[in-house]
Amino acid sequence: MKTKLILLPLLAAVPAFFTGCATDAHYVQTGDKEQIVSLGQINIQDYATAANDAIKDLLASGALDHVANPPALLELSRIVNNTSQQVDTDLLTKKISIALLQSGKAVTKSVDAKATGLQQENEFLNDQKSTRLPDFTLSGKIIETVDRAGSTRRTTYSFQLSLNDTKAGVQVWEGEKEIGKQGTRSSVGF
Amino acid sequence: MKRTLLLSVAAGLLALAGCTTVNTVENAQKEGQRNMISDQRVITDTSLARKVAIVGVNSAMTPGGLLKAQVEIENHTHSTQHFLYHFEWFDANGMQVNNIISASVPEQIEGKESKFIYSVAPNPDCRDFRVKFIEAN
Repeated sequence: MKTKLILLPLLAAVPAFFTGCATDAHYVQTGDKEQIVSLGQINIQDYATAANDAIKDLLASGALDHVANPPALLELSRIVNNTSQQVDTDLLTKKISIALLQSGKAVTKSVDAKATGLQQENEFLNDQKSTRLPDFTLSGKIIETVDRAGSTRRTTYSFQLSLNDTKAGVQVWEGEKEIGKQGTRSSVGF
Repeated sequence: MKRTLLLSVAAGLLALAGCTTVNTVENAQKEGQRNMISDQRVITDTSLARKVAIVGVNSAMTPGGLLKAQVEIENHTHSTQHFLYHFEWFDANGMQVNNIISASVPEQIEGKESKFIYSVAPNPDCRDFRVKFIEAN
């Protein structure tokens, strides 16, 4: 009788346990607490964290405020990828350019061929040469370093960014964000 | 009796092994003045609030006229705590201004450590802010 009393709740708990383990597909928000911490690659949360850090640091520095005709004109330059993976650097730079545009502190030079062509046509038709040169360029580098101890692996991604003044030829702001991930395998949650 | 004692000691050692706290030193006579602001708190996760407490909130303006907010937090436990935080910004009409600056940021704080987190308003029209904290899994 006693054994039965113990066995019954146990049997009832088994299906509940397995239901709890199943993860049905569902929509998630970037940066939620269920995010996957991927050990060997840069994920969307890493780009968001790096961009967030760079933007608040850049805006707080006031480096973009020292231009004759605000808002500053910014051209996105090269982001060197020194990692073992293929990286679309737009995942980082687009976030930064959107935030700068929304802040009213800078506009980015268009990379759309159609827009550039129309601008040149406008200049020709109006017989004027008014192309504004960028006040700043934004360049950077993403570096990956890997350390191992037994089966534990630590991967650190360094996001380095520089704001270059095109007139003076100097770097007026620099920012670096290091994102480190350690473990034996990727996991959900952090 | 002996076995219970041994088990207790082992458990105590195990518990201590996960604890690392932080010692700090700072200048006693402060030169800088923090512009502390009164805050309004809504605590729904008492477990997190007990572990990672909000000490105070201060704000300042950046040279470019953007509101900068800083929150001092303190870990009341002896172990490292992981959490997510994000800043939300509002304009003069109380409308939320969405931006990458409002993205969730994973953060960790060592045992008994006190640290600051900060953010800068996405544009000069932002007047108010709110910070949300979520405990990690």
